[in-house]
Amino acid sequence: MKRGVKDFESAIKELEAIVKALEEGDLALEQSLELFERGIQLSRFCHTRLEDAERRIELLTSQGERAAAPDNLTATSENGNDT
Amino acid sequence: MTATPGLPFANPHDPRTSAHGIITVTELTSQIRTTLESSFAEVWVEGEITNSRLWKTGHLYFTLRDEHAQLKAVMFRSAVRYLRFTPEDGLRVVARGRVSVYEPKGEYQIVCEHLQPQGIGALQVAFEQVKRKLSDDGLFDPERKRPLPLLPRQIGVVTSLDGAALRDILQVLTRRHQTAHVVIYPTRVQGEGAAAKIAEGIERLSQAEGIDVIIVGRGGGSLEDLWAFNEEPVARAVAAATVPVISAVGHETDTTLSDFVADVRAATPSAAAELAIAGRTDLVDRVDQLTGRLRAAVLDALRRSRTRVLELDRRPGVTSWPARLASHGRHTAELTHAISSALREALASRLSHVHAVRIRLDTREPSRRVEANRTRLVAADERLSATSTHRQQKLRAQVSHLTGRLGALSPLGVLARGYAVCWNDKQTRILRDSATVSVGDNVAIRLARGRLSARVTGKK
Repeated sequence: MKRGVKDFESAIKELEAIVKALEEGDLALEQSLELFERGIQLSRFCHTRLEDAERRIELLTSQGERAAAPDNLTATSENGNDT
Repeated sequence: MTATPGLPFANPHDPRTSAHGIITVTELTSQIRTTLESSFAEVWVEGEITNSRLWKTGHLYFTLRDEHAQLKAVMFRSAVRYLRFTPEDGLRVVARGRVSVYEPKGEYQIVCEHLQPQGIGALQVAFEQVKRKLSDDGLFDPERKRPLPLLPRQIGVVTSLDGAALRDILQVLTRRHQTAHVVIYPTRVQGEGAAAKIAEGIERLSQAEGIDVIIVGRGGGSLEDLWAFNEEPVARAVAAATVPVISAVGHETDTTLSDFVADVRAATPSAAAELAIAGRTDLVDRVDQLTGRLRAAVLDALRRSRTRVLELDRRPGVTSWPARLASHGRHTAELTHAISSALREALASRLSHVHAVRIRLDTREPSRRVEANRTRLVAADERLSATSTHRQQKLRAQVSHLTGRLGALSPLGVLARGYAVCWNDKQTRILRDSATVSVGDNVAIRLARGRLSARVTGKK
Protein backbone atom coordinates (compact mmCIF):
# COMPACT_ATOMS: atom_id res chain seq x y z
CA MET A 1 0.00 0.00 0.00
CA LYS A 2 2.83 2.39 0.81
CA ARG A 3 4.19 2.82 -2.65
CA GLY A 4 7.41 4.75 -2.93
CA VAL A 5 7.70 8.30 -4.20
CA LYS A 6 10.37 8.95 -6.78
CA ASP A 7 10.99 12.68 -6.70
CA PHE A 8 9.27 15.95 -6.06
CA GLU A 9 8.23 16.53 -9.62
CA SER A 10 6.61 13.13 -10.06
CA ALA A 11 5.02 13.38 -6.60
CA ILE A 12 3.29 16.64 -7.38
CA LYS A 13 2.22 15.34 -10.80
CA GLU A 14 0.73 12.20 -9.27
CA LEU A 15 -1.01 14.28 -6.60
CA GLU A 16 -2.51 16.44 -9.31
CA ALA A 17 -3.76 13.37 -11.19
CA ILE A 18 -5.29 11.95 -8.02
CA VAL A 19 -7.10 15.18 -7.19
CA LYS A 20 -8.41 15.35 -10.72
CA ALA A 21 -9.63 11.74 -10.65
CA LEU A 22 -11.36 12.30 -7.29
CA GLU A 23 -12.95 15.52 -8.45
CA GLU A 24 -14.38 13.86 -11.50
CA GLY A 25 -16.20 11.67 -9.00
CA ASP A 26 -16.82 8.53 -11.03
CA LEU A 27 -14.92 6.26 -8.68
CA ALA A 28 -16.15 3.67 -6.24
CA LEU A 29 -15.92 4.75 -2.62
CA GLU A 30 -13.24 2.18 -1.96
CA GLN A 31 -11.12 3.46 -4.77
CA SER A 32 -11.67 7.07 -3.70
CA LEU A 33 -10.43 6.34 -0.23
CA GLU A 34 -7.41 4.48 -1.53
CA LEU A 35 -6.54 7.44 -3.73
CA PHE A 36 -7.08 9.77 -0.83
CA GLU A 37 -4.60 7.90 1.29
CA ARG A 38 -2.07 7.92 -1.48
CA GLY A 39 -2.72 11.62 -2.01
CA ILE A 40 -2.09 12.42 1.63
CA GLN A 41 1.13 10.43 1.46
CA LEU A 42 2.26 12.44 -1.57
CA SER A 43 1.29 15.73 0.03
CA ARG A 44 3.38 14.89 3.09
CA PHE A 45 6.29 13.92 0.89
CA CYS A 46 6.12 17.26 -0.93
CA HIS A 47 5.98 19.23 2.30
CA THR A 48 8.89 17.32 3.71
CA ARG A 49 10.93 17.98 0.62
CA LEU A 50 10.14 21.68 0.65
CA GLU A 51 11.28 22.00 4.25
CA ASP A 52 14.17 19.63 3.73
CA ALA A 53 17.12 21.87 4.38
CA GLU A 54 18.36 23.25 7.59
CA ARG A 55 18.60 27.03 7.93
CA ARG A 56 22.17 28.14 7.43
CA ILE A 57 23.99 31.40 6.82
CA GLU A 58 27.61 31.13 5.79
CA LEU A 59 30.36 33.35 4.50
CA LEU A 60 32.56 32.47 1.57
CA THR A 61 36.10 33.75 1.89
CA SER A 62 38.17 34.96 -1.03
CA GLN A 63 40.10 31.69 -0.68
CA GLY A 64 36.86 29.90 -1.42
CA GLU A 65 36.44 28.53 2.09
CA ARG A 66 33.22 28.59 4.02
CA ALA A 67 32.81 29.99 7.48
CA ALA A 68 29.87 30.52 9.77
CA ALA A 69 28.33 33.99 9.51
CA PRO A 70 28.87 36.34 12.43
CA ASP A 71 26.22 36.17 15.14
CA ASN A 72 24.83 39.60 14.38
CA LEU A 73 23.67 38.39 10.95
CA THR A 74 21.92 35.31 12.24
CA ALA A 75 20.53 37.35 15.12
CA THR A 76 19.20 40.02 12.77
CA SER A 77 17.36 37.48 10.75
CA GLU A 78 15.80 35.87 13.78
CA ASN A 79 14.59 39.21 15.02
CA GLY A 80 13.09 39.72 11.62
CA ASN A 81 10.21 37.58 12.80
CA ASP A 82 8.86 40.36 14.94
CA THR A 83 8.39 42.81 12.17
CA MET B 1 78.62 89.92 -41.90
CA THR B 2 79.99 87.64 -39.26
CA ALA B 3 78.51 87.83 -35.86
CA THR B 4 80.70 89.51 -33.37
CA PRO B 5 82.33 86.83 -31.27
CA GLY B 6 81.05 86.94 -27.73
CA LEU B 7 77.97 88.73 -28.79
CA PRO B 8 76.18 86.24 -30.97
CA PHE B 9 72.71 87.26 -29.76
CA ALA B 10 73.14 90.87 -29.19
CA ASN B 11 70.48 93.40 -28.38
CA PRO B 12 67.89 93.17 -31.13
CA HIS B 13 67.38 96.91 -30.89
CA ASP B 14 70.93 97.48 -31.89
CA PRO B 15 70.69 98.27 -35.57
CA ARG B 16 73.81 96.25 -36.23
CA THR B 17 72.74 93.02 -34.56
CA SER B 18 69.22 93.57 -35.78
CA ALA B 19 70.50 93.41 -39.25
CA HIS B 20 72.32 90.28 -38.42
CA GLY B 21 69.50 88.99 -36.08
CA ILE B 22 70.50 85.41 -36.43
CA ILE B 23 69.78 82.90 -33.74
CA THR B 24 69.62 79.15 -33.93
CA VAL B 25 66.40 77.19 -34.28
CA THR B 26 67.07 75.69 -30.92
CA GLU B 27 67.47 79.10 -29.38
CA LEU B 28 64.26 80.41 -30.85
CA THR B 29 62.28 77.32 -30.02
CA SER B 30 63.58 77.45 -26.50
CA GLN B 31 62.49 81.07 -26.17
CA ILE B 32 59.08 80.31 -27.61
CA ARG B 33 58.78 77.46 -25.22
CA THR B 34 59.63 79.60 -22.25
CA THR B 35 57.20 82.25 -23.35
CA LEU B 36 54.36 79.85 -24.00
CA GLU B 37 54.86 77.74 -20.94
CA SER B 38 54.93 80.71 -18.62
CA SER B 39 51.96 82.39 -20.28
CA PHE B 40 49.81 79.30 -20.45
CA ALA B 41 50.77 77.38 -17.35
CA GLU B 42 47.17 76.55 -16.63
CA VAL B 43 44.39 76.92 -19.17
CA TRP B 44 40.88 75.62 -19.58
CA VAL B 45 40.10 75.05 -23.19
CA GLU B 46 36.96 73.83 -24.80
CA GLY B 47 36.78 71.83 -28.00
CA GLU B 48 35.90 68.64 -29.76
CA ILE B 49 38.15 65.61 -29.65
CA THR B 50 39.44 64.30 -32.97
CA ASN B 51 42.18 61.91 -34.02
CA SER B 52 42.29 60.41 -30.57
CA ARG B 53 44.66 57.56 -30.12
CA LEU B 54 45.64 55.68 -27.00
CA TRP B 55 49.20 54.50 -27.23
CA LYS B 56 50.50 51.26 -25.87
CA THR B 57 52.43 53.28 -23.33
CA GLY B 58 49.12 54.43 -21.91
CA HIS B 59 49.51 58.02 -23.12
CA LEU B 60 46.64 59.52 -25.03
CA TYR B 61 47.17 61.72 -28.08
CA PHE B 62 44.42 63.69 -29.73
CA THR B 63 43.50 67.00 -31.31
CA LEU B 64 41.12 69.54 -29.88
CA ARG B 65 39.34 71.64 -32.44
CA ASP B 66 36.58 74.06 -33.06
CA GLU B 67 35.30 75.71 -36.23
CA HIS B 68 38.40 77.75 -36.88
CA ALA B 69 41.38 76.17 -35.23
CA GLN B 70 42.89 73.08 -33.84
CA LEU B 71 45.22 72.28 -31.03
CA LYS B 72 47.36 69.22 -30.52
CA ALA B 73 46.85 67.62 -27.17
CA VAL B 74 48.40 64.89 -25.10
CA MET B 75 47.36 63.31 -21.86
CA PHE B 76 49.89 61.19 -20.04
CA ARG B 77 49.10 57.82 -18.58
CA SER B 78 49.27 59.13 -15.02
CA ALA B 79 46.30 61.41 -15.82
CA VAL B 80 44.45 59.02 -18.16
CA ARG B 81 44.19 56.59 -15.25
CA TYR B 82 41.79 58.86 -13.43
CA LEU B 83 39.39 59.33 -16.30
CA ARG B 84 36.04 57.64 -15.74
CA PHE B 85 35.22 57.67 -19.44
CA THR B 86 37.12 56.99 -22.63
CA PRO B 87 37.87 60.16 -24.64
CA GLU B 88 36.49 59.45 -28.07
CA ASP B 89 36.37 61.37 -31.31
CA GLY B 90 33.43 63.71 -31.52
CA LEU B 91 33.17 64.20 -27.77
CA ARG B 92 33.06 67.83 -26.68
CA VAL B 93 35.21 68.39 -23.65
CA VAL B 94 36.77 71.03 -21.49
CA ALA B 95 40.45 70.25 -21.05
CA ARG B 96 42.53 71.58 -18.20
CA GLY B 97 46.26 71.65 -18.80
CA ARG B 98 49.32 73.64 -19.71
CA VAL B 99 50.70 74.54 -23.07
CA SER B 100 54.03 73.01 -23.90
CA VAL B 101 56.36 72.89 -26.86
CA TYR B 102 57.81 69.72 -28.24
CA GLU B 103 61.10 71.04 -29.43
CA PRO B 104 62.26 68.21 -31.69
CA LYS B 105 59.25 68.79 -33.89
CA GLY B 106 58.67 72.43 -33.28
CA GLU B 107 55.13 71.73 -32.26
CA TYR B 108 53.18 73.17 -29.45
CA GLN B 109 50.52 71.23 -27.69
CA ILE B 110 48.41 71.20 -24.62
CA VAL B 111 49.34 68.69 -21.94
CA CYS B 112 46.05 67.80 -20.36
CA GLU B 113 45.66 67.08 -16.69
CA HIS B 114 41.95 66.50 -16.82
CA LEU B 115 39.09 66.21 -19.28
CA GLN B 116 35.50 66.93 -18.49
CA PRO B 117 32.79 66.02 -21.01
CA GLN B 118 30.69 69.00 -21.82
CA GLY B 119 27.00 69.15 -21.12
CA ILE B 120 26.76 65.73 -19.47
CA GLY B 121 28.72 64.28 -16.62
CA ALA B 122 31.71 62.02 -17.03
CA LEU B 123 29.78 59.18 -15.38
CA GLN B 124 26.99 59.42 -17.93
CA VAL B 125 29.51 59.28 -20.73
CA ALA B 126 31.25 56.30 -19.15
CA PHE B 127 27.91 54.58 -18.60
CA GLU B 128 26.95 54.94 -22.24
CA GLN B 129 30.37 53.86 -23.41
CA VAL B 130 30.50 50.67 -21.35
CA LYS B 131 26.87 49.98 -22.17
CA ARG B 132 27.56 50.17 -25.87
CA LYS B 133 30.53 47.89 -25.51
CA LEU B 134 28.60 45.25 -23.59
CA SER B 135 25.72 45.55 -25.98
CA ASP B 136 28.05 45.06 -28.94
CA ASP B 137 29.28 41.90 -27.27
CA GLY B 138 25.72 40.67 -27.04
CA LEU B 139 25.57 40.64 -23.25
CA PHE B 140 22.11 42.20 -23.17
CA ASP B 141 20.56 39.69 -25.55
CA PRO B 142 17.26 38.39 -24.19
CA GLU B 143 18.13 34.82 -25.18
CA ARG B 144 21.05 34.89 -22.77
CA LYS B 145 18.68 35.23 -19.82
CA ARG B 146 18.36 32.04 -17.83
CA PRO B 147 15.33 31.08 -15.77
CA LEU B 148 15.77 31.02 -12.01
CA PRO B 149 15.93 27.57 -10.39
CA LEU B 150 12.67 26.29 -8.93
CA LEU B 151 14.21 25.07 -5.69
CA PRO B 152 17.67 26.55 -5.20
CA ARG B 153 19.72 24.49 -2.80
CA GLN B 154 21.85 27.43 -1.72
CA ILE B 155 21.50 31.14 -2.43
CA GLY B 156 24.71 33.12 -2.95
CA VAL B 157 24.79 36.80 -2.01
CA VAL B 158 27.46 39.31 -3.04
CA THR B 159 27.16 42.45 -0.99
CA SER B 160 28.48 44.35 1.99
CA LEU B 161 28.20 42.65 5.37
CA ASP B 162 26.93 45.77 7.09
CA GLY B 163 24.69 47.13 4.36
CA ALA B 164 20.94 47.45 4.37
CA ALA B 165 20.76 45.13 1.38
CA LEU B 166 21.94 42.07 3.29
CA ARG B 167 19.65 42.84 6.20
CA ASP B 168 16.67 43.12 3.84
CA ILE B 169 17.52 39.91 2.02
CA LEU B 170 17.91 37.89 5.21
CA GLN B 171 14.67 39.29 6.58
CA VAL B 172 12.70 38.24 3.53
CA LEU B 173 14.22 34.78 3.64
CA THR B 174 13.38 34.46 7.32
CA ARG B 175 9.81 35.41 6.66
CA ARG B 176 9.24 33.36 3.55
CA HIS B 177 11.63 30.46 3.71
CA GLN B 178 12.80 29.46 7.16
CA THR B 179 15.18 26.79 5.95
CA ALA B 180 17.01 28.78 3.31
CA HIS B 181 20.72 28.18 3.02
CA VAL B 182 22.54 31.44 2.29
CA VAL B 183 26.18 31.86 1.36
CA ILE B 184 27.48 35.42 1.53
CA TYR B 185 30.55 36.75 -0.22
CA PRO B 186 31.33 39.90 1.77
CA THR B 187 32.63 42.78 -0.30
CA ARG B 188 32.74 46.51 -0.25
CA VAL B 189 30.20 47.91 -2.67
CA GLN B 190 31.62 51.36 -3.38
CA GLY B 191 34.92 53.13 -3.67
CA GLU B 192 38.30 52.08 -4.95
CA GLY B 193 38.55 48.37 -5.69
CA ALA B 194 34.88 47.64 -5.09
CA ALA B 195 34.18 46.58 -8.67
CA ALA B 196 37.03 44.08 -8.74
CA LYS B 197 35.95 42.61 -5.43
CA ILE B 198 32.31 42.30 -6.50
CA ALA B 199 33.37 40.62 -9.72
CA GLU B 200 35.52 38.21 -7.73
CA GLY B 201 32.61 37.39 -5.43
CA ILE B 202 30.31 36.55 -8.32
CA GLU B 203 32.95 34.28 -9.79
CA ARG B 204 33.70 32.52 -6.49
CA LEU B 205 30.04 31.93 -5.62
CA SER B 206 29.24 30.70 -9.08
CA GLN B 207 31.99 28.10 -8.72
CA ALA B 208 31.06 27.09 -5.17
CA GLU B 209 29.37 23.73 -4.72
CA GLY B 210 25.61 23.73 -4.28
CA ILE B 211 24.88 27.37 -5.08
CA ASP B 212 22.11 27.59 -7.67
CA VAL B 213 21.42 31.32 -7.81
CA ILE B 214 23.34 34.48 -6.93
CA ILE B 215 22.02 37.82 -5.72
CA VAL B 216 24.36 40.74 -6.30
CA GLY B 217 23.55 44.22 -5.13
CA ARG B 218 23.49 46.93 -2.53
CA GLY B 219 21.11 49.43 -1.00
CA GLY B 220 20.34 52.85 -2.38
CA GLY B 221 22.86 55.65 -2.83
CA SER B 222 24.04 58.35 -5.18
CA LEU B 223 25.04 57.61 -8.75
CA GLU B 224 28.61 57.76 -7.52
CA ASP B 225 27.87 55.26 -4.72
CA LEU B 226 26.30 52.78 -7.12
CA TRP B 227 29.07 53.24 -9.65
CA ALA B 228 30.83 49.93 -9.10
CA PHE B 229 27.81 48.15 -10.56
CA ASN B 230 28.28 50.08 -13.80
CA GLU B 231 31.86 49.04 -14.20
CA GLU B 232 32.79 46.63 -16.89
CA PRO B 233 34.40 43.95 -14.68
CA VAL B 234 31.20 43.55 -12.67
CA ALA B 235 29.01 43.36 -15.75
CA ARG B 236 31.36 40.81 -17.33
CA ALA B 237 31.45 38.71 -14.17
CA VAL B 238 27.64 38.68 -14.05
CA ALA B 239 27.56 37.55 -17.66
CA ALA B 240 30.17 34.86 -17.06
CA ALA B 241 28.51 33.39 -13.95
CA THR B 242 27.61 29.73 -14.38
CA VAL B 243 24.39 30.08 -12.40
CA PRO B 244 21.59 32.64 -12.85
CA VAL B 245 22.27 36.04 -11.30
CA ILE B 246 19.72 38.43 -9.83
CA SER B 247 20.93 42.03 -9.81
CA ALA B 248 19.44 44.33 -7.18
CA VAL B 249 21.15 47.68 -6.98
CA GLY B 250 19.69 50.61 -5.07
CA HIS B 251 16.06 51.48 -5.39
CA GLU B 252 13.46 50.86 -8.04
CA THR B 253 14.53 53.87 -10.11
CA ASP B 254 18.23 53.03 -10.17
CA THR B 255 19.37 51.06 -13.16
CA THR B 256 22.92 49.83 -13.50
CA LEU B 257 24.73 47.89 -16.18
CA SER B 258 24.84 44.93 -13.84
CA ASP B 259 21.02 44.97 -14.00
CA PHE B 260 21.11 44.87 -17.80
CA VAL B 261 23.43 41.89 -17.92
CA ALA B 262 21.86 39.91 -15.08
CA ASP B 263 19.41 37.10 -15.80
CA VAL B 264 16.84 38.88 -13.67
CA ARG B 265 16.75 42.45 -12.46
CA ALA B 266 15.13 43.04 -9.08
CA ALA B 267 13.90 46.47 -8.07
CA THR B 268 15.38 46.14 -4.58
CA PRO B 269 17.42 43.61 -2.59
CA SER B 270 14.22 42.51 -0.81
CA ALA B 271 12.59 41.86 -4.16
CA ALA B 272 15.65 39.87 -5.21
CA ALA B 273 15.24 37.59 -2.21
CA GLU B 274 11.56 37.12 -3.03
CA LEU B 275 12.45 36.22 -6.60
CA ALA B 276 15.11 33.75 -5.51
CA ILE B 277 12.55 31.73 -3.56
CA ALA B 278 9.48 32.47 -5.68
CA GLY B 279 9.57 29.00 -7.22
CA ARG B 280 9.50 27.38 -3.84
CA THR B 281 6.76 29.68 -2.57
CA ASP B 282 4.64 28.73 -5.59
CA LEU B 283 5.23 25.05 -4.96
CA VAL B 284 4.22 25.32 -1.31
CA ASP B 285 1.00 27.05 -2.39
CA ARG B 286 0.39 24.45 -5.05
CA VAL B 287 0.82 21.53 -2.66
CA ASP B 288 -1.42 23.22 -0.09
CA GLN B 289 -4.05 23.85 -2.68
CA LEU B 290 -3.93 20.29 -4.01
CA THR B 291 -4.18 18.89 -0.50
CA GLY B 292 -7.26 21.00 0.17
CA ARG B 293 -8.89 19.82 -3.03
CA LEU B 294 -7.99 16.24 -2.20
CA ARG B 295 -9.83 16.46 1.13
CA ALA B 296 -12.84 18.16 -0.41
CA ALA B 297 -13.06 15.53 -3.12
CA VAL B 298 -12.98 12.59 -0.74
CA LEU B 299 -15.64 14.17 1.47
CA ASP B 300 -17.72 14.56 -1.63
CA ALA B 301 -17.25 10.89 -2.44
CA LEU B 302 -18.49 9.98 1.05
CA ARG B 303 -21.53 12.18 0.56
CA ARG B 304 -22.37 10.42 -2.68
CA SER B 305 -22.02 7.02 -1.11
CA ARG B 306 -24.55 8.00 1.55
CA THR B 307 -27.05 8.79 -1.16
CA ARG B 308 -26.49 5.35 -2.61
CA VAL B 309 -27.17 3.65 0.73
CA LEU B 310 -30.44 5.55 1.06
CA GLU B 311 -31.44 4.43 -2.40
CA LEU B 312 -30.63 0.83 -1.56
CA ASP B 313 -32.97 1.00 1.41
CA ARG B 314 -35.88 1.92 -0.83
CA ARG B 315 -35.37 -0.82 -3.35
CA PRO B 316 -38.17 -3.38 -3.65
CA GLY B 317 -35.72 -6.21 -3.06
CA VAL B 318 -35.18 -4.91 0.44
CA THR B 319 -38.66 -3.66 1.31
CA SER B 320 -40.38 -6.85 0.12
CA TRP B 321 -38.07 -9.16 1.99
CA PRO B 322 -40.29 -9.73 5.01
CA ALA B 323 -43.29 -10.52 2.78
CA ARG B 324 -41.27 -12.98 0.77
CA LEU B 325 -40.13 -14.73 3.89
CA ALA B 326 -43.70 -14.91 5.22
CA SER B 327 -44.85 -16.69 2.08
CA HIS B 328 -42.75 -19.65 3.09
CA GLY B 329 -45.27 -20.56 5.73
CA ARG B 330 -46.24 -19.89 9.27
CA HIS B 331 -43.50 -22.05 10.69
CA THR B 332 -41.06 -19.57 9.39
CA ALA B 333 -42.93 -16.62 10.90
CA GLU B 334 -40.76 -16.30 13.90
CA LEU B 335 -37.63 -16.53 11.85
CA THR B 336 -39.05 -14.01 9.43
CA HIS B 337 -39.71 -11.63 12.19
CA ALA B 338 -36.25 -12.04 13.62
CA ILE B 339 -34.57 -11.59 10.29
CA SER B 340 -36.63 -8.64 9.22
CA SER B 341 -36.04 -6.77 12.45
CA ALA B 342 -32.36 -7.55 12.25
CA LEU B 343 -32.31 -6.24 8.72
CA ARG B 344 -34.18 -3.10 9.65
CA GLU B 345 -31.91 -2.59 12.57
CA ALA B 346 -28.87 -3.06 10.39
CA LEU B 347 -30.15 -0.66 7.81
CA ALA B 348 -31.16 1.85 10.45
CA SER B 349 -27.72 1.56 11.93
CA ARG B 350 -26.08 2.12 8.59
CA LEU B 351 -28.31 5.04 7.88
CA SER B 352 -27.61 6.62 11.23
CA HIS B 353 -23.95 6.15 10.61
CA VAL B 354 -24.25 7.74 7.23
CA HIS B 355 -26.29 10.48 8.82
CA ALA B 356 -23.46 11.08 11.27
CA VAL B 357 -21.01 11.30 8.41
CA ARG B 358 -23.26 13.75 6.65
CA ILE B 359 -23.51 15.99 9.72
CA ARG B 360 -19.78 15.91 10.04
CA LEU B 361 -19.35 16.77 6.41
CA ASP B 362 -21.94 19.52 6.44
CA THR B 363 -20.64 21.20 9.54
CA ARG B 364 -17.06 20.27 8.78
CA GLU B 365 -16.89 19.24 12.36
CA PRO B 366 -14.33 16.51 12.78
CA SER B 367 -15.93 13.97 14.89
CA ARG B 368 -15.17 11.74 17.77
CA ARG B 369 -18.35 10.00 16.77
CA VAL B 370 -16.43 8.11 14.16
CA GLU B 371 -15.35 5.74 16.91
CA ALA B 372 -18.82 5.51 18.40
CA ASN B 373 -20.37 4.86 15.03
CA ARG B 374 -17.76 2.35 14.31
CA THR B 375 -18.69 0.45 17.48
CA ARG B 376 -22.32 0.57 16.45
CA LEU B 377 -21.48 -0.64 13.01
CA VAL B 378 -19.49 -3.52 14.42
CA ALA B 379 -22.44 -4.46 16.59
CA ALA B 380 -24.76 -4.29 13.64
CA ASP B 381 -22.30 -6.29 11.72
CA GLU B 382 -22.35 -9.03 14.36
CA ARG B 383 -26.11 -9.09 14.43
CA LEU B 384 -26.11 -9.44 10.72
CA SER B 385 -23.72 -12.37 10.78
CA ALA B 386 -25.95 -14.10 13.35
CA THR B 387 -28.75 -14.23 10.77
CA SER B 388 -26.62 -14.97 7.85
CA THR B 389 -28.15 -15.17 4.43
CA HIS B 390 -26.61 -14.54 1.10
CA ARG B 391 -28.00 -11.03 0.92
CA GLN B 392 -27.01 -10.30 4.47
CA GLN B 393 -23.50 -11.42 3.79
CA LYS B 394 -23.32 -9.00 0.98
CA LEU B 395 -24.62 -6.21 3.17
CA ARG B 396 -22.22 -7.19 5.89
CA ALA B 397 -19.30 -7.08 3.53
CA GLN B 398 -20.31 -3.62 2.43
CA VAL B 399 -20.78 -2.39 5.96
CA SER B 400 -17.46 -3.67 7.22
CA HIS B 401 -15.83 -2.25 4.17
CA LEU B 402 -17.32 1.14 4.86
CA THR B 403 -16.31 0.86 8.49
CA GLY B 404 -12.73 0.10 7.63
CA ARG B 405 -12.53 2.92 5.16
CA LEU B 406 -13.95 5.46 7.55
CA GLY B 407 -11.36 4.50 10.09
CA ALA B 408 -8.77 5.28 7.48
CA LEU B 409 -9.85 8.90 7.44
CA SER B 410 -7.04 9.50 9.81
CA PRO B 411 -6.66 13.26 9.25
CA LEU B 412 -10.01 13.69 10.97
CA GLY B 413 -9.32 11.14 13.68
CA VAL B 414 -6.20 13.05 14.56
CA LEU B 415 -8.31 15.85 16.00
CA ALA B 416 -9.83 13.43 18.47
CA ARG B 417 -6.38 12.90 19.88
CA GLY B 418 -6.18 16.51 20.98
CA TYR B 419 -4.73 18.18 17.92
CA ALA B 420 -6.33 21.29 16.52
CA VAL B 421 -6.39 22.80 13.05
CA CYS B 422 -5.81 26.49 12.76
CA TRP B 423 -7.22 28.36 9.75
CA ASN B 424 -6.85 31.90 8.61
CA ASP B 425 -9.83 34.12 9.29
CA LYS B 426 -11.63 33.36 6.06
CA GLN B 427 -10.90 29.66 6.44
CA THR B 428 -9.39 29.52 3.03
CA ARG B 429 -6.05 28.30 4.18
CA ILE B 430 -4.67 26.10 6.97
CA LEU B 431 -1.91 27.90 8.90
CA ARG B 432 1.40 26.13 9.06
CA ASP B 433 3.73 28.99 9.53
CA SER B 434 3.41 31.76 12.08
CA ALA B 435 4.93 34.07 9.53
CA THR B 436 1.79 33.95 7.43
CA VAL B 437 -0.28 35.73 10.09
CA SER B 438 0.24 39.05 11.80
CA VAL B 439 -0.35 40.02 15.36
CA GLY B 440 -3.97 41.14 15.60
CA ASP B 441 -5.22 38.82 12.86
CA ASN B 442 -8.28 36.72 13.56
CA VAL B 443 -7.86 32.98 13.16
CA ALA B 444 -10.28 30.09 13.31
CA ILE B 445 -9.35 27.03 15.32
CA ARG B 446 -11.08 23.75 14.79
CA LEU B 447 -11.08 21.28 17.65
CA ALA B 448 -12.31 17.70 17.73
CA ARG B 449 -15.61 19.16 18.91
CA GLY B 450 -16.58 22.66 18.08
CA ARG B 451 -14.55 25.56 16.86
CA LEU B 452 -12.99 28.69 18.24
CA SER B 453 -12.51 32.17 16.86
CA ALA B 454 -9.26 33.58 18.17
CA ARG B 455 -7.00 36.56 17.73
CA VAL B 456 -3.24 36.42 17.44
CA THR B 457 -1.70 38.31 20.33
CA GLY B 458 1.86 37.32 19.72
CA LYS B 459 4.01 34.97 17.79
CA LYS B 460 7.38 33.30 17.77
